Amino acid sequence: MSDYIVEMKHITKSFPGIVANDDVSIGIKKGEIFALLGENGAGKSTLMSILSGMYEPDEGEIYIRGEKVQISSPNHAANLNIGMVHQHFKLVEDYTITENITLGIEPIKRFAGLFPYVDIRNANRKIEELSKDFGLEVDPTKKIADLTVSMQQRVEILKVLYREAEILIFDEPTAVLTPQEIDFLLGIIEGLRNSGKTIILITHKLEEIKKVADRCAVLNKGKLVDVLDVKTTSVNLMAQLMVGREVSFESEKVPAQFKEEVLKIEHLTVKNEDGFEVVKDVSFTIRSGEIFAIAGVADNGQVEIADAIAGLTKVSNGKIFLEGKDITNESIRNRTEIGISYIPEDRQSYGLFLDFDLSTNLALKQYYKEPFSSKGILNKDVFEQFGSKLIDQFDIRSGQGIKTQVRSMSGGNQQKAIIAREIELQSPLMIFVQPTRGVDIGAIENIHNMMIQQRDQGKAILLVSLELEEIMNVADTIGVIYNGQLQKVASSESLTTNEVGEYMMGAKHE
Amino acid sequence: MDTIIIDGLSFALPLFIMAIGGIYSEKSGITNLALEGFQGFGAFIGALSAVLIANTSGIDVENLFYVSFLFAMIGGMGFSVIHAVLSIKFKANQVISGVVINILALALTTFLTTQINALVFGAASDKFRLGVSERFTIEGLANIPVIGAIFTNVYPFEVIIVVIAIFAWYLLYKTRFGMRLRASGENPHSVDAAGVNVSKIRFSAVLISGLLSGLAGMCFAYSISANFSSNIYMGYGFLAIAALIFGNWKILPTLVACLIFGFAKSGGTFIAQAMALPSSFTDLFMILPYVLTLLLLVFFSKSNRAPRALGEIYDKGKR
Ligand SMILES: Nc1ncnc2c1ncn2[C@@H]1O[C@H](COP(=O)(O)OP(=O)(O)O)[C@@H](O)[C@H]1O
Ligand SMILES: [Mg+2]
Repeated sequence: MSDYIVEMKHITKSFPGIVANDDVSIGIKKGEIFALLGENGAGKSTLMSILSGMYEPDEGEIYIRGEKVQISSPNHAANLNIGMVHQHFKLVEDYTITENITLGIEPIKRFAGLFPYVDIRNANRKIEELSKDFGLEVDPTKKIADLTVSMQQRVEILKVLYREAEILIFDEPTAVLTPQEIDFLLGIIEGLRNSGKTIILITHKLEEIKKVADRCAVLNKGKLVDVLDVKTTSVNLMAQLMVGREVSFESEKVPAQFKEEVLKIEHLTVKNEDGFEVVKDVSFTIRSGEIFAIAGVADNGQVEIADAIAGLTKVSNGKIFLEGKDITNESIRNRTEIGISYIPEDRQSYGLFLDFDLSTNLALKQYYKEPFSSKGILNKDVFEQFGSKLIDQFDIRSGQGIKTQVRSMSGGNQQKAIIAREIELQSPLMIFVQPTRGVDIGAIENIHNMMIQQRDQGKAILLVSLELEEIMNVADTIGVIYNGQLQKVASSESLTTNEVGEYMMGAKHE
Repeated sequence: MDTIIIDGLSFALPLFIMAIGGIYSEKSGITNLALEGFQGFGAFIGALSAVLIANTSGIDVENLFYVSFLFAMIGGMGFSVIHAVLSIKFKANQVISGVVINILALALTTFLTTQINALVFGAASDKFRLGVSERFTIEGLANIPVIGAIFTNVYPFEVIIVVIAIFAWYLLYKTRFGMRLRASGENPHSVDAAGVNVSKIRFSAVLISGLLSGLAGMCFAYSISANFSSNIYMGYGFLAIAALIFGNWKILPTLVACLIFGFAKSGGTFIAQAMALPSSFTDLFMILPYVLTLLLLVFFSKSNRAPRALGEIYDKGKR
């Protein structure tokens, strides 16, 4: 018998137009943290969905504890003590934590020895104990709708533990968490390993792997590149294997050439729904050929500034000028026409129609104009030519080209599609809100280069980001926001990362 | 006053049991506009079996209502298979499926009623005559002022409905089946991930709605109309849907909504009669429940929340 608790041999799985897993073989030892590293769309989730019974492989064999198995359903996987914490939570918002955890295996009692009913009280107690045992304290009677994202994730983890999983799969668990929550979760994962569980951790964040994983398999475009011992492998090598080429962690930039003023914000004040001032008297300008980044901890008003400029939020005081024209009260479409491109934070709900095909999504900002439509009738051929052109130009990868349903594309490629569409508008001002959130290193590099290229072509760029590293990397000018107020505006060369961090915490004042 | 309560209850309770059927279907995630068709078709099957049995056995048709209820439930359930198959197996649009089923029920039962009357009974009629079910009064309780009316002139089916409604509440809120059913209407993916078959649950939910609607239809046939004809399609199915929406897809508030409708209807009739208006005016008062629907809609619909996945076609592969 081998010393592997899980062995997947020669796994191949195709979806229409794409081979998601191509002859992948991995072996996982009992009691280790095994990381799966790969860019978006590399096939990590697919491989683990096969192990957890969601998909059946086209080819290949699976051995669990040395025995050959065909995992036909998530139930079957649970019987084999395999559980997956999904990337997209599968929770009933209206149900309590207990109701969610026990769904499908509800404990039963009988009323008057006759009528069976779900024994919630007993389950509540059991879950409270379980949550204490693993350091995942929750109040089992709370409803999911009232929980934060990280709490919901705890529920997903408890769900798996309640089913007595020994092999736990985490699919990009940190993508939705804040840095503190990430540290906590990684601690929990290590604790689980130390109590004898086997962990498979899917991620594209190298630091996390370095921190907790024992071994790491690298996938690229569906193929297994290598299995590495984490301790003895450098982060650079891992990144290189993952992307399939050398990556630079710093973007190449020629010095910026600032020209005429494009955007001017004067005494901008924005109130939220409760009438609370979330942006207070903010003024700055962005010139042609400049990347202006707003740095700050989440929820300090940076997104509201971007929204106010794009016209998504009402301005309660102050003025916004674009190329000298007062646009404070213009409609969104007029702003687009006058010259604002906007790459929103939540790409799935605001940036794309997930159920439409790629060519339609790419033409979304221009469909009502010649040559995309004439006299109100859409011209599909133009849509398709335009789509194909952008796909080539921006290297947008998808299963079926312009016909791909956007929902099936990976996050990084969805983002590239939005950016391509917005760049194509040739607007003098481009706003990027968190453009690289949830996107892997290869695509991040790509997106940064796109931004710098646009800058060099004379665009004015506003970048809102929570990643300080990203800001230090691409910005020419940095404005640090805290509590709705700009604390500091200076050129990026004149600031150190530490200084920016201090301004972000409100610890330092002008 | 007593008549308002007595007639109101005998209308509200069948409406209630039909609305419970709708709650089951919609809580599982399947939009159900077909209640109207289910109750009509169920009543048709129930009435048909009653007259056929009466014809062959010689038993008086008025004494056959328990049998007819049984057949009506089977008929309603059988007919609801169409909605279940269309919307679950073939993933058809649930609104369209519901509307088509209503049209189909009306056309089919009207046609079959005249044909069967002509062929089997040799009569040129578009209805099956049933008569009105017997009623009973619980002495003692009936003498309590005001509430006594609840126990006066009660149709047996009202008791049956109350028993079934209690069981339906227990099934929906206390059992495994109910937990999973409600979860299917909120987030079918979570149910699927828990290893439970969403389609099966939704299928049973739609069948339950057919079964309960069939029962309701038969109650109307044996009380208000005293026969089966196309008059059974008075829009009560839609009223039941309105009731369950005001009831926020919950059983107890839905009962309240049904009672309001019931008393509005009997109250309207009562006023019309008390004022000795000609029958054309009575019709005017009969729209009272529907006007009430509109008003309630204005005031209550804001705070109500439909099941999250209601009407959404469930596709396993979708991410
Ligand atoms: N259900 C599906 N239908 C069609 N294509 C899919 C489906 N799931 C994944 N894919 C495709 O398979 C590839 C691998 O996806 P995935 O395993 O999710 O990648 P990763 O988790 O590494 O980001 C992607 O190109 C994705 O678009
Ligand atoms: Mg994935």
